[in-house]
Amino acid sequence: MYLIWLRVAMVLYGLAACAALPAVLYGVDRWRRFAVPTAFVAFIFHLVSVVETLTTAHRWVPVGVRETESIMGLLVAGVFLAIWRLYGTFSFSIFALPATFFLVFAPALGVDGYAFPSQGVKRGWLIVHIAALIAAFVALGFSVIASGLYLLQEKYLKFKLKPGGTKWWLPVDWLPPLDTLERIAHTMLMIGFPCMTAGLMIGSLLAQESVGPAYFLDPKVVASFVMWGVFVLLLFLRRSAGLRGRRAAYLSGAVFLAMVLVWAANVISRVHGFGAK
Amino acid sequence: MTLRIVGVNHKTAPIELRERVAISRDALGEATSTLAALSGVTECMIVSTCNRVEIVAALDDAAPLAEHALIAFMQQRFGIAPEELLPHLYEHHDHEAVRHLFRVAASLDSMVVGEPQILGQVKEAFTVARKIGTIGGQLEHLLQSVFSAAKKVRTETEIGSNSVSIASVAVELARKIFGTLTGKTVLIVGAGKMSELAARHLVQQGADKILVTNRTRERAERMAGHFNGRVVEFAALYDEAPQADIIITSTGAPTHIFRREHGQAFLHKRRNKPMFFIDIAVPRDVEPAMNKLEGLFVYDIDDLQAVAAAHLAERQQHTDHAEQLIAREVARFHERQRAVNVAPAIVALQQRAEDLRQQELKRIHARLASLTPDQLAAVEALSRGLVNKFLHPPMQALKQAARDNDGMRLETVLNEWGLELDSNEVLDNTDINGGQE
Repeated sequence: MYLIWLRVAMVLYGLAACAALPAVLYGVDRWRRFAVPTAFVAFIFHLVSVVETLTTAHRWVPVGVRETESIMGLLVAGVFLAIWRLYGTFSFSIFALPATFFLVFAPALGVDGYAFPSQGVKRGWLIVHIAALIAAFVALGFSVIASGLYLLQEKYLKFKLKPGGTKWWLPVDWLPPLDTLERIAHTMLMIGFPCMTAGLMIGSLLAQESVGPAYFLDPKVVASFVMWGVFVLLLFLRRSAGLRGRRAAYLSGAVFLAMVLVWAANVISRVHGFGAK
Repeated sequence: MTLRIVGVNHKTAPIELRERVAISRDALGEATSTLAALSGVTECMIVSTCNRVEIVAALDDAAPLAEHALIAFMQQRFGIAPEELLPHLYEHHDHEAVRHLFRVAASLDSMVVGEPQILGQVKEAFTVARKIGTIGGQLEHLLQSVFSAAKKVRTETEIGSNSVSIASVAVELARKIFGTLTGKTVLIVGAGKMSELAARHLVQQGADKILVTNRTRERAERMAGHFNGRVVEFAALYDEAPQADIIITSTGAPTHIFRREHGQAFLHKRRNKPMFFIDIAVPRDVEPAMNKLEGLFVYDIDDLQAVAAAHLAERQQHTDHAEQLIAREVARFHERQRAVNVAPAIVALQQRAEDLRQQELKRIHARLASLTPDQLAAVEALSRGLVNKFLHPPMQALKQAARDNDGMRLETVLNEWGLELDSNEVLDNTDINGGQE
């Protein structure tokens, strides 16, 4: 039964994580009111699942990667709910709920892991995985370009022409206004993030089916999740601290760098050798 | 008929004189009517702006004193003694007058080259004159060509591309920061003329929430009334400022009223949303170090003037292109004008040929009596066709000679056909052409 509770918890965590994005990034209260109770119910199911697993095994120490991941997920969700209860802040949900979902994902597939019913289905998911990640990378690329142009435009507007002095070194009349560049950069991130999340989730499913739980130890996979984490941090800071302009551009650059590293990690990945072969 | 332009402008007359001869919009119609009533003036209009007053008139050749009447009109109307007016007055005749009018409407003769208002002002003068009936075919044709050329200059060159006034530079910068100004909040600190002008430009571009603060509340209320805005207590300036996207400041404060720490506090409250400070006060109201803060853009009066001067220099670089375009358009106008003038010669030529054809048909009328109506119609069509074919080369030659302003060739063609028109009359029918290109 513990596996059923865990799978219910995983689905509920997934729903809560999806609701957390618009709730935090756009301040949509309706989604926040959905996310918190859903996460709480997921936490209860998760707790039941963990207690049942351990009591059945007559031990209180987790054994193996899957159990450790599940308990780690439980802790993350628990800490998030405690913070929400004590401080009334919901912003952490943007990290905590997706992280919990990813941590619970592999254990919820069961001891034997998940097997696709056919090669065709697997190939279909592979195509979606690739398409989602390419879309995320393209969106991120545009966001980084818009951020770079923002820096250029800002530098130009800060540049002070002296009477009889020379003009700025670069013609920049063609550049869109700062606000437009900022909105392009932000919108591209908002498009890229769900794509990247979906791409990583599907990739995780495909990888655990082929490799098992060890996929999470692969440098490529770890780098992908680090990239996702930086991405979330970027969105979180943009929203909560009003991060924009120069610092947002630098952070977008960091995400882009992480993306390049993830691509480079193909060379050393055992799970994901695409691009190195 | 000859074309004359008499007037004063910013290059020839000081402001003291220009303001004495300026004609208000309301008085323009009456002044134009009075001018048109002068002996020898067949068509006329008056262009009056803050930088120029010009009389544009088509004069009858048969009234040689009409030209002096124009100057006398100015002296009498404005009550200015000849010795005071004449040194500042300029006159353009015929071809030069045409060129001058083209340049004026294209803003090549303006104080600020490329400024867009002059075209509207010339159009307004033309509309007023047309309404009261002082515009005839000559000026109608000329002015339509002038407007078309001015439009072409604006679209095909970049002489009007960048802002050159302080207020419009400020608007341009605001647009570079915010994109659209719709929905933006403007805070005016210090209710001066310059800040009102800048605010007016911003409102015209869509800024719709105006806050005004001033040490004297009455002045703030007066200005807020102009913009349907809200008065902010001067004591609450720092509390209210963060809600403004654009701050125009022009107080007489001896020290900076906005310092770096204020900027940091504003940004914090605004969650780093950008702010634009337009500081037109001397001494400055905004500490220059604020421009170093990310998201804050500070332009003082010197910065704005430097941008305006750079834009003006850029415009000057484009004037050569505009001058060439105007020269081409003037030449084209004269060509078209001569083509219009040669029309009576062509009509006379056609008439002459038609007379000859009729004479020949009459001469052989008896011999054609036996023909059926269909056969007669065929002969009629044949003779008409032949005449048209024969006329084609001389007609083309006339048109070409007119276009080339070639009097000798024109006369040769006219003589060959026994026409008694004066070639000078064709080429110089109106002296607008000048006949000396």
